[in-house]
Order: sequence, then structure tokens, then C-alpha cells
Amino acid sequence: MKRYLLTRVGQALVVLWAAYTATFLILNLLPSNPVALRLSGANVQIQDLTPAQLAQIEAQYGLNKPVIEQYFSMLWNALHLNFGQSTSLSLPVSTVLAQRLPTTATLAAFAVVFMLILGFGVAYLAAWVQWRPAKIVLSRVPAIGVSVPSFWVGLLLIQVFSFDLGWFPSTGSNGLSSYVLPAVSMALPAGAVLAQVLTSSFEKVLREPYIATAKAKGLSRATIQFRHALRNAALPTLTLLGLLIATAVTGAVIAETVFSISGVGRLAQQAVLSQDVPVVQAIVLVAAVLFVTVNLIVDLLYPLLDPRIAYIPKVV
Amino acid sequence: MNSRPPRFADISLPGTGPSRRGFLLGTGGIAAALALAACSGHTTSAVADPVATGAGAVPQQGGTLNIAYWADLEGAFDPNQVYWIETRSLNRNFADSLTDQDPETGEIVPWLAESWTVSPDVSEFTFTLRQDVTFSDGSKFNAAAVKTAYDGIVALGANSELGVVYLDGYKASTVIDEYTVKVSFNGPNAQFLQASSTTTLAILSPDTYLKTPQERAAGQVVGSGLFTLDHFQAGQSVKLSRRKDYAWPSKLVKNQGAAYLDAINVTYIAEDSVRVGNLLAGDIDIAWPRLPISQADQQRITAAGDSIITKSLPGISDILLPNITAGHPFSDPLVRQAFNKAIDRASYASTVFWTGYPVVTSPLESSTPGYQDESALLGYDPTGAASLLDQAGWTKGSDGYRYKAGQQLSLIYLIASNTDGAQLLQDQVKSVGINLNLKIVTAAQELTLEKSGAYDLLDSYLTRGDASVLGSLLDLSVVKSAPGKNTQDAATAQQVSAYFAQGLATVDTTARNAAYADLQKYVIEQGVAFPVYERLQVSGLSSKLSGFAWTSEGFLRANDLWKST
Repeated sequence: MKRYLLTRVGQALVVLWAAYTATFLILNLLPSNPVALRLSGANVQIQDLTPAQLAQIEAQYGLNKPVIEQYFSMLWNALHLNFGQSTSLSLPVSTVLAQRLPTTATLAAFAVVFMLILGFGVAYLAAWVQWRPAKIVLSRVPAIGVSVPSFWVGLLLIQVFSFDLGWFPSTGSNGLSSYVLPAVSMALPAGAVLAQVLTSSFEKVLREPYIATAKAKGLSRATIQFRHALRNAALPTLTLLGLLIATAVTGAVIAETVFSISGVGRLAQQAVLSQDVPVVQAIVLVAAVLFVTVNLIVDLLYPLLDPRIAYIPKVV
Repeated sequence: MNSRPPRFADISLPGTGPSRRGFLLGTGGIAAALALAACSGHTTSAVADPVATGAGAVPQQGGTLNIAYWADLEGAFDPNQVYWIETRSLNRNFADSLTDQDPETGEIVPWLAESWTVSPDVSEFTFTLRQDVTFSDGSKFNAAAVKTAYDGIVALGANSELGVVYLDGYKASTVIDEYTVKVSFNGPNAQFLQASSTTTLAILSPDTYLKTPQERAAGQVVGSGLFTLDHFQAGQSVKLSRRKDYAWPSKLVKNQGAAYLDAINVTYIAEDSVRVGNLLAGDIDIAWPRLPISQADQQRITAAGDSIITKSLPGISDILLPNITAGHPFSDPLVRQAFNKAIDRASYASTVFWTGYPVVTSPLESSTPGYQDESALLGYDPTGAASLLDQAGWTKGSDGYRYKAGQQLSLIYLIASNTDGAQLLQDQVKSVGINLNLKIVTAAQELTLEKSGAYDLLDSYLTRGDASVLGSLLDLSVVKSAPGKNTQDAATAQQVSAYFAQGLATVDTTARNAAYADLQKYVIEQGVAFPVYERLQVSGLSSKLSGFAWTSEGFLRANDLWKST
């Protein structure tokens, strides 16, 4: 177990390094440069600066050094959790992240909870109900959830629950109630995917011979579905869950825009467009850590759900 | 979703390089008149002597003004560094400048400076300062503070994108005595007087300049303004609080004392419909977008009893800049003239905006001093356009587009997003056989394409209250960057620069305006720029507010603003 964990953590570190390096490469291959973009935001062309002014601003962002040197000094600083100065925003990256990460983390946590409730709820119910029309409706509903664009859902939620009913705030991130609507709009597509996979998984599992055995033993339907079917049906969704949680960051871009929440999702989008390398690097690193951690947890959970999947290296 | 910060309109004075020239300023008459104007008293207690605003109602003291802007993609609060217009609106109520600009006439009037004189060569400006001004940290405003501030802004370098332009050629500030300061430049710099009225050249407390540029950007700044900064979280929220002992606004406001409002709260709402919904729900008092509020949303706002306020933004109208270099269709003047005739500006204004929206009549906004109505040259004439294209050798093919030597008359138009306006324009010129190829690019791509010249059209606009603003885009004796350079051949450039020089060489308003009138006409006739639409700042205002005022640059001026309960 210890060796398995160490290997996995080692792999995770390689993934983090690769993500960091790939981001740096891609952003540096893009045309133009951060200083020119920052200036163009203020309608100043880089050609119109004096050489002294240009040198000063480039030195400030460390852009006067060769690219390879920039990379290593950024990497070294990142290892010390120093992400440098944002080139588009007039703030240190750590300050920006400190302001915005908690917001997005809360939002993502809400979204994941809603996603689980929605996904498992619908699929469990679809497997449970006996009346055929209801079963069909429940197993088809997720398709709608996957198809509707989440910005539209967001605007609809605002119109109904904020402006008409006044139950939840339409903007900002003040208090937990303000996270409900954006989290729902984020959870809908992901929860729907989860429900789709779980529904078909249930269908398959419930036809397995061991379910027939359980029935023959005289177990109640509730016990069979909860104790025997769910465990096996949930296995494929666990893999999916690892991916869906990681997409919380991408889902946050839209939810944060529609609900005017100042979080990491919107920051990532803006930073990419303005070639704000330090900010993008930091966000990629955070997202990669999240992704790697969630997947590690998922991998460690497998053996608990299904003892047949062992983490012990195979005996030769 | 807003994809990126527009690369335009964020500023009121564009970058034109070290050799920028402003208009030459009267050294005698104007200064004397301004000095006279500054002599009258300036002590009025706001509450004791309420000023009637709006429909003669008595202003109420107190309340919090809630404003929602669309975004803050710069994330800085330091007035000296900020270029983002929405933040500058807040800066205006936080920090004061030496001078102020009348939004009606464009005239520069006293503010923290009571009067000033300009040296005959327009390179030295000597300001006599008010003696009753303090910063909110208790320090005194005096000549040394002005020197510290201006030196500090210059030291910011390109951290202050606008400061680079405004204080271009800055030599030194010299303290003559406690309340007299001389600002000198390496050469004539008449544009400085207008610049001294901007938020960018606002004077902050001397201690502010001991902080690093980053600390200042993050809100560690102290001003002498109507409000103090309580809280600044970049892109998220701003809170300003009333300064109780404020008593030194310019003459352009009625309330010569402290603000009526207790506080200003700012939030950012990216979605138009949500922002308007918040206004209607009473959660915000001003919905302040960057682009005009749509007609449908305006109807919702007025139906709810709230109001729509508009301000024509002086400066360059929304114009298209052609690339006339060799190998591009626009290198033929006939094609440029035809393109100009193919634009139906009246239907553009009423379709993209609304019925009654002002139709553009010049490369300059109608609210710009020195503007000249050139609508006669901007008429919609598809028949004329077609015959010009025939004459130029572009003949109509079976697909409706024109061809010459097997090559289609196709123009690459760089845009940030696929707007209604761009599509309408595409449709309008298609009727005469021009294929307007809308190329959606990011800011990074646009800069690259501009540099390589791989485009035919791009748009631009700038806000500033003087006709000379056109020079910042089109006067090639100062502009070095591609978008401007590609609009003119050598002969045209010489003539354009001559007009600018003529306009800059005189202080006589009539003579200046005549030069700029000739210039506006020439620019259209030669196809140096194609005006497309007038720019309005349109905001939604709660019915609870009275006494709203714009600054000359279309910012919020909260001195007279009050909120009824």
C-alpha cells in the first residue's frame, strides 16, 4: 500500500510538472506579448513607448530575460509558492488567487454536492420505480440536462428565483444563499451525465445473476438495490466523478460570468486572452492539483467498493 | 459572455508618442479669464444651504449609491495608473486634479489650481494653488505635493499607460513658493493643460508615492477628493465613503461642500439582462454598461419609472481605418470612395441602436469642440458606389460580388466578436458587390495582424474634448504604429499633417476650427477614415436619484447627486 501510494504521488508530481511546462510553452508560442496586450488595453501601442519605458516595464515582469531563464525562475518561484506579478491585473498573483480561490472552491463544492444529489437521485429513482412511463421519463430526463446550455439555465434561474420569487440573490458571492443558483446551473450538465451513466449501469447490474440470487433469498427490493446493486453500479460512475469534479473549473467560467461572481473561472478566461502567463500558470497548477488529488482518491476508493480490484502488485 | 477587454475607448487621450503636440494655448487671454473666474468665493455648506437640483427638490443627506459596472479587467485603483474607464469614474470622486473641464464647452477651469500662466513657448505652466485643501490623511496640499505627484507619475513609466502620454516630455516640477508650482517640459506641450484636468494626473497625498506601484494599484492611495476609499477588491467590489470636510470642488458643480451621499458601493455584473434586472429590483441605483443599453432594456427601465441618461462622448467617433498599402483593394481611392458611399449610416444607427439614435456626421463626435457637420459627404449612395467600382475595373460576377483579374473584391475586417453592427455593415456593402470578410480575432492576434498588415479594415475610437484628438490616430508626424500608418500614402499624410499643424499653431478658435473643418472634410474625401456611428454613454438611473452629472469625459460626478428615501 505504501509503495503504491508513493508511486501514485510520484506520478502526480510528474503530471503537475508537465501541465506547468506545457502551459508555459503554449503561452509563449502565442503571437504578441503580455506587455503589448496590456498597453493595447489602454490603446497605447508598444512602438510608441521610449526604449527606457519599454525596458522598465519588461524588467518589472521579468520579460527581459531569455525565455528559458524565465521558465526556470518561474518554476523555482512556483515551488516556493511565489507566482509572481500578474501582467494584466495590477496585482501579485498570490493576492488575486487568495481573493478568488475561496469563492470558486465554495461554488465548486456546492456544485459537486448538487451534482451528486441530482445524478444519484435521478438514476436511483429511475431504477426504483416500477411504473413504466415514469421509468422512461426518469431515464430520459438526463438527456435534457446534458443538452441545455448552462448560461441559458443560469439566466432562467435568475429570472425565476431572483427577480420573480426573490428567493436567492442574482449576483455576487455574499452568503451561502448566493452560491445556490450558480451551483445548480453548474451541476445540471454534470449531474445529468452522471445520471445517464448510473441509469444504464443499474439496468445492467439488476440483470446480473447475483441479483436473482438475492431475490431468491427473499431480500426486499430496497435492500437489493441499496446493498447489492448500488455498489456495483456505482463503479463506472466513480471514474467519471473524477473527471466531472475537475470540470468544475471550466463550468465555473460560465456560472461566474452569468452570476457576476469574481472567481478563478473567469480569471482564467481573461488571463488566457491577455496572455497573462503568471496567472494562467498558477491556475493551471491549482486545477492540476485538484485533478490529480481527486483521481488519486478515486483510485484509492476502488478497492473499498470492489475488493476484486487490488492495489497489490501482481505476483510473478 | 464578454470575451476580452475592448482595446479602445478605455482612455481619453491616446498614445501618440514622444513628439506629441497639443494645441497651442493662449498665454494671456485665457489664463486671465480663468484667473478671474477663480476669484469668486467657494464656501457653501451643502446641508445648510441646499442646492436645488432636478425638479427643484431639496437634496436629502445620506444614503448609499449602488452602482453596477460590467467588469474591471484592469484591477487597479490608483488614479495615476488606471486606464479602465469605469474605475476612472470612481477615481474622479476620490481624487482631485489641478484643473477641471467643462462638459458643455470643453473649457479648462480652475480646481485645485486657482489660476495659471503659460510661457510663450508653451513649455512652462505655472499654477497658483488653493490654500485650503487637505488630503484625507491630514497632509496638506501644496506645491511640494504637486511636484511629488507629477514626479511620481513619471516614475511609474509604462505602469501608467496614460501618464506616459500626458506627461510626455516632462522636464521638472519646480516649487516656486508654498502655493506656486511650475511644471516644465522639454518642448511645447499645450495638451498638458487638458491633461491636468484628468484623473490620471490627479494629485495624491505625498505619502502615497512612498508605496510601491503594486501597493498603490491595490488601493493604498490617499486623495483629496469628495470620497475616501474604504475597500477595494479588484474586479469584485469597491466601497467609497463621504469625506465630511470636503470643500474644494471646481465651479462646475453646484454643491460646494461635502457629498450628499454617505457612501458609494460598486459591484460588477457582466450580463446586461441581470444588471438591468437588478436596477428594476432596486438592488442597484445605476446600471452602467460600456456599450449602449439595448432598446428593449431601455423600455423595461423606463416602464418601471427609472430613467435613461445619455452622454455623447467627445472625441473620435467610431471609425473604420482602412489599410491602403499596395496589394490591398483600398490602395485604389475609387474603392475607398465607393466603400464610403455603400455605408447606410442612418439605418445603422436605427437598426443597431434605436430609432432616433444620432447618425454620425464626421470622424469627430458632434459634442467635440471644433466638430464640423460633414453629413453631405457621408450620404448613402449605392448607385454611386457601384459606378465608382465599375470605373475602378471591379465588375460584378454571377455570385453578386465584384471581381478584377479573377480576384474577388474581398476585405478583411478585424473584429473582437461578431456584433450586429459588423453583420449589418457586411450586408450593406454586399449590395454593391463588396465581400466584407469578418475576421474574429483575439487581442493578441489583432496586434500581430496589424503589424504584418494582413487586414483591410479595423475600427477605433477615442474620447477627448478637443478636435486635435484625431491627430493621435491620423497625424503621421507623430503616429508610428501600424493602424494609423496604413491609412495614408505619403502625399495624403503630408496634407493631413499640415492641417493638424495649422490647427495646433493658432489659439484663435475660429481659425483652429476652420483648419479642423478642412481636415475632417479631407479625411472623408480621401478615405483616410470611414465614420460609422456616434458614441453615447447610456446608463440606467433609479428614480430615487437626483442631481446626476457627467464629467467632460463621461465619468460620474457625484457632488450634486442625492438619493431620496
